[in-house]
Amino acid sequence: MAADATAAAHLAAVTTRPGNAGAFRIAVITALAIAVMTPVGLIVYQSFLDGPFFDESAKASLWAFKYVLVDADFWRALRTTALFAFGLVAVAVPLGAGLAFLLTRTDIPGKAILEPLVLVPMFLSSIVLAFGYTVAVGPSGLVSIWFRETLGGVPWNIYSLWGMIVIGGLSHVPNVYLYVASAMRSLPSDLEEAARSSGASMWRVLLDVTLPMVLPALIFAAALNLLLGFETFGIPLVLGDPNGIVVLTTYIYKVSTVFGTPTYHVMAVVAVMLVLITLPLVFFQRRLLRHSRRFAAVGGKGARASLLKLGRTGKIVAVSLVGAWLFVSVVLPIGGIVLRAFVDAWGEGVNLADHLTLDHFRKVLSEASLYRGIVNTVLLAVIGGAIAVGIYLLVALAGHRNTGRSGTVLDYMVLMPRALPGIVIGLAFFWVFLFVPFLTPLRPTLASLLIAYIVVGLSYGLRILQATLLQVSPELEESARVTGASIGRTWRDIVIPIIRPGLAGAWALIMIVFIREYATGVYLMGAGTEVIGSLMVSLLTSGAMDQIAALSFISVVLTAVGLGLALRLGARIHD
Amino acid sequence: MKRRQLFTVLAGALVAAGLGQAAAQSVPAGYPADYAKLITAAKGEGKVVIYTSTDSKQSAPLVEAFKAAYGIDVELNDLGTNGSYNRALSEAAAKQVGSDIVWTSAMDLQMVLVQKGLADAYASPEIKNLPAWAVYKNLLYGTSIEPAAILYNKKLFPADWVPKTRADLIKVLKDKREPLKGKVATFDPEKSGTGFFFSTADVRHTKDFWDLVSAFGAAEGKVYGSSGAMREKVVSGEHVMAFNVIGSYALEWARENPNLGAAFQSDYTSTFSRVAQISKGAPHPNAARLFLDFMLSDKGQKALSDKGVPSIRADVGTLNSATLNQLVGGGLKPTAVDEHLTEYMEPKKRAEFFQQWKKALGR
Repeated sequence: MAADATAAAHLAAVTTRPGNAGAFRIAVITALAIAVMTPVGLIVYQSFLDGPFFDESAKASLWAFKYVLVDADFWRALRTTALFAFGLVAVAVPLGAGLAFLLTRTDIPGKAILEPLVLVPMFLSSIVLAFGYTVAVGPSGLVSIWFRETLGGVPWNIYSLWGMIVIGGLSHVPNVYLYVASAMRSLPSDLEEAARSSGASMWRVLLDVTLPMVLPALIFAAALNLLLGFETFGIPLVLGDPNGIVVLTTYIYKVSTVFGTPTYHVMAVVAVMLVLITLPLVFFQRRLLRHSRRFAAVGGKGARASLLKLGRTGKIVAVSLVGAWLFVSVVLPIGGIVLRAFVDAWGEGVNLADHLTLDHFRKVLSEASLYRGIVNTVLLAVIGGAIAVGIYLLVALAGHRNTGRSGTVLDYMVLMPRALPGIVIGLAFFWVFLFVPFLTPLRPTLASLLIAYIVVGLSYGLRILQATLLQVSPELEESARVTGASIGRTWRDIVIPIIRPGLAGAWALIMIVFIREYATGVYLMGAGTEVIGSLMVSLLTSGAMDQIAALSFISVVLTAVGLGLALRLGARIHD
Repeated sequence: MKRRQLFTVLAGALVAAGLGQAAAQSVPAGYPADYAKLITAAKGEGKVVIYTSTDSKQSAPLVEAFKAAYGIDVELNDLGTNGSYNRALSEAAAKQVGSDIVWTSAMDLQMVLVQKGLADAYASPEIKNLPAWAVYKNLLYGTSIEPAAILYNKKLFPADWVPKTRADLIKVLKDKREPLKGKVATFDPEKSGTGFFFSTADVRHTKDFWDLVSAFGAAEGKVYGSSGAMREKVVSGEHVMAFNVIGSYALEWARENPNLGAAFQSDYTSTFSRVAQISKGAPHPNAARLFLDFMLSDKGQKALSDKGVPSIRADVGTLNSATLNQLVGGGLKPTAVDEHLTEYMEPKKRAEFFQQWKKALGR
């Protein structure tokens, strides 16, 4: 993501003279720094106090750090989190790489359908996914019951660390696929062809020729998913909690009850710890890519890659493999959600046909807060998404072909809010809107949620915009510059007109991201500013499963609409 | 001129008649005579804002009845227990109190708010209809009485296993340990305030709570953060029985779904009450008082009771403290709204409880 852009910037720096966009860059980066560092700084500050920061009796103290560092539960949660994150990577990276190979380097049939389908798990919130899996393959899930009846036993248990790892891994496959596929797409195919014609098997070609060439992308994807693994909240909340499997993000939840009242300083410390763990990952990621040339945009118009022929059997095997993965990663969870949304009882000894109902939707539509949640989510996604694209574009331009130190600062800053647990960053934003005088009028409006969403979604949104910007080949900008245009003019007259269609696609993708968001709004929303994702989290605590099922279904439908729109608008998902 | 005079007189008469009618309709019987002033002031404020953990589904009839009676708008924020506490505390510190009433099931958290001085004292004219244990210094009011229950799957948990007393419950967990392995659920006191509350109430009022937890741990029982999560598992058959579920929900679910049953122990049934306080510095103080009174009145209590929230009074609706006591077999144990609520807020006491919980559970 951000690091790709830096590498590309290196490349561009060779030819582009330093420009006159310095003032713009500084203005954007400063504004961004204020938006990001206010909540982040508040959390760091809170972690060094012995009470709520707004309590006058609170003093500077390391008490919360000491508490956390000697708490056996914290270390257990940390270990579980590490196991989960590494396990997730071990599942997601090989699968994602394999899928990318099949879909980009071979002549597997049905690509047009498979490509968007492969990405679906990425667009669903992990709460929705985990919930769907419970209904499909949980101990009383439909598939589990069928297994028990035909084979006499169920060989899996999703409420275990293994279950969480497999489900987490499967749902992160698209994240690996995206990076690896974009790297593979730009590889010249002569090496693979040479290997193939001298008799190497498909398997050998993949292992000995293709993989080594995309190694940087693989490592990058692994580091990114490791980071995502550390932050995962939905899957451990739904699948880990009932069995007492606690990760760092759910440990934060637990701390409140252990103390009786929400203990902000301890929550803040855990959040700071998470940042301390993930920052080295980002650092490592950046170093790794510093000298490797950006892989997606090498050499302008490279030779068109010709595809490896799978042959008849090969095609059948490949399609069945991809089909099996799709069944497990897409059909099972979505099937579970759809089913649960239309029945009021399920599981052992229940005839589903007797329990079909539309009641859950009636309940959702008749409860004012839930109905508003749907409307607000759509508003935030559609209008908020468009505003977000505008802001991300400004930030992306500020970082575009920027080699200076501000580019590095930007990269780290953008990842900060992502590295903090969504619940905590949402709480910090709640305080910012409460205690910063000129912001208070925004608090009861959707604007507060939108600002928080934009900040939390920065890393993802920028990645999309940067990918779009990189479509513009440097030669075009260089010619404008050479003939005397300023950087501002180059952007206005060359870059933005070229990427305009890309912006529409980016808008659709951001829409999906905003529909999917759930943790950030938990503390931020109030009457009138409810959103679907956060409503699901709060309904989960009161346990209104019928409403959660209906909301999940609606969320899936909205996502599908967004994805359809994204594809129509030609979103550059594959970059 | 004449016509205009006539109009003015007519209009004046209409207004007077309207006001008189409204006042006559609204001042409930037995309330002080100057209550009409409170009503007028509350109508002037036009709105009441509530932070609550009660589902809008359960509170809707109460809200509608209040709106119908006074024409005052009600803004209900379903924030959960921790969310309500967090917001009330933060807003008080920022001197931007947004709530008029905080009304949640977290009796202990709200007692903390009261002790921090965030509640306004108000002597409701309804006090005389409430049990003495339900009102704390005119600051915090109990509004319901809700028992802990057993929720079970009728198809999978045999009727003769359903425990009638606390001793029966321990016995069935011990005797049927093998068939019940991994199939019993209860609240996780580490994750749920209600769970913690039921558990510590049991420690205070019974002698065998730790035996119960040991038997539950030996049967490899699972713990959950909410009653709804347990319901889902019992409905699907993943678990066959859950104890210390919120009883008012269990009764409702058993009514809705023929596969589910709700049961109580006749010798001892612990309870909690949803408690309400008026926020100090409330933006709509008169509307807040009016709403609190309404919530405690027979009309308000009936609206809650009709939606399965048992009335704290003995004289309202079909589901109230008296009928509930009959239903559970006579062992209903109210939890007084008093300083004892924050007993377990003391870190040492809390830590000891959790240690013992883990030890008894064997995990």
